[in-house]
Amino acid sequence: MLSFFSSAEFQTVLSTLNTGFVKTLQLFFVTLVGAVPLGLVISFGSMSRIPPLRWLTKTLVWIIRGTPLVLQIIALYYVPGLKGVHIWSGGESGRFTAVAVAFVINYACYFSEIYRGGIQGVPAGQQEAGLVLGMTKRQIFFKITLLQMIKRIVPPMSNEIITLVKDTSLARVVALQEVIWMGESFMKGNQGYAGLVWPLFFTAVYYLAFSGVATLLLGKLEQKLEYFR
Amino acid sequence: MKKKLWALLLALSLTLSLAACGGNSSNSGSSTAPPAESNQNTTSDDGADISDAAAESDLAYVQGKGVLVVGMTDFAPMDYRDADGKWIGFDADMATAFAESLGVKVEFQEITWDYKVMELDAKSIDCVWNGMTLNDEVKAAMDTGAPYSLNAQVLVVPTEKAADFENLTTLEGLNVAVESGSAGEDAAEALGASTTAVAKQADALMEVSAGTADAAVIDLLMAGAMIGEGTNYANLTHTVNLNAAQGLESEEYGVGFRKGSDLVSAWNEFWAAAIADGTVLETGTTYGVQESLILE
Repeated sequence: MLSFFSSAEFQTVLSTLNTGFVKTLQLFFVTLVGAVPLGLVISFGSMSRIPPLRWLTKTLVWIIRGTPLVLQIIALYYVPGLKGVHIWSGGESGRFTAVAVAFVINYACYFSEIYRGGIQGVPAGQQEAGLVLGMTKRQIFFKITLLQMIKRIVPPMSNEIITLVKDTSLARVVALQEVIWMGESFMKGNQGYAGLVWPLFFTAVYYLAFSGVATLLLGKLEQKLEYFR
Repeated sequence: MKKKLWALLLALSLTLSLAACGGNSSNSGSSTAPPAESNQNTTSDDGADISDAAAESDLAYVQGKGVLVVGMTDFAPMDYRDADGKWIGFDADMATAFAESLGVKVEFQEITWDYKVMELDAKSIDCVWNGMTLNDEVKAAMDTGAPYSLNAQVLVVPTEKAADFENLTTLEGLNVAVESGSAGEDAAEALGASTTAVAKQADALMEVSAGTADAAVIDLLMAGAMIGEGTNYANLTHTVNLNAAQGLESEEYGVGFRKGSDLVSAWNEFWAAAIADGTVLETGTTYGVQESLILE
């Protein structure tokens, strides 16, 4: 068993899967960095007091949440090119950009609803107290509502973040070479190895390790926010 | 007041994004077709192929950007990675030589096989060169170079059961694993098998190996390279030639280009020269596919 872990086969597969997992992680972090703020903007839109803006935002959220992410990725990557507008540069980087944009929009819509729940869940008395103290609306949002909202949204956000780790595997539909694509490549043949089935299942180790770390960190964050009750 | 500003900004961005969506969907209808066609970069849309291609030479487009992007999948012995991760194989080597003859660099792009036509039309790739069987779908959606190799679909079964399958003329009652969208899928269905479509030919072999399918249908070329003694599927063997069982001729492999592309004639010239100077046979011998090549 131990000799297997030091074999050339294991080393080759491991380094290939690592390359794939770096892509997975890039997609994960780009999505998070883009979708967390964009989600807040969208949640403002769906809570706006201007009805057309509210309807528009809600329609967008409905479309994005109501269609499969995999379809959004395919549409976003191929449709502009098919219409003669080449917005994605060639090769791997263009694929990555297109997929990242699709993920950011998709996750921002899910996040926006979580934010909305968090904001509207803060008791009205909190805002009234702010008003009594003579705070402006902006001060009330940033000094009173936002922090209480963050505490409320950590558990549902953790849920989405863990889902995101695994959803990144959808990117392989447009041939983005993330970790599952790399795992599958050894079935057909890659770097002299063909018909290997174990690398595909071995990718689970990567996902488990990463979501384990994410769970721990998010749990720590939850504890830190415990004093706001 | 800041919130109003936010709201305004959001309204703007949403309007823009929705407008963009609307633009796309109406393009697929007919209302905004003329402006799209006047666009220089327009790819072939249904009827407009020939005039578009005439307006803009595909060869000039490829030479302009200095790189020929070859759409392929991992498909030994045509395209596969060597121990250093470099793409080699019969198709890969010949594609490199073709790009050289055009004076451009070659770039190999792995694609999802089911989307090859979309990849080509969206100009994410410039040709499909990957042991592609010239079937109706390919002929309808692409312009192809002259056939360069022959192939057949074969039935792959566990070696110890091979005797049961000899001289089979029908696959009725068998559960057969096939690559989704492949020529093997068509052949298996034509012979009455109930098929399980998987993503790759290699997945189909895994199904047989794991006992979840009775048999698999894959390309003869690939079967030669991937199963039998000395491979990871030593317990499998190939028996029935499904083309013969159906009374059909062998299939042919070709290279696919965009509709109306002048790269087709450039490729045909290149290939004829490569046959004449022995490059094709030499490369074919390197990868053990010389017997299936069309050398005329």
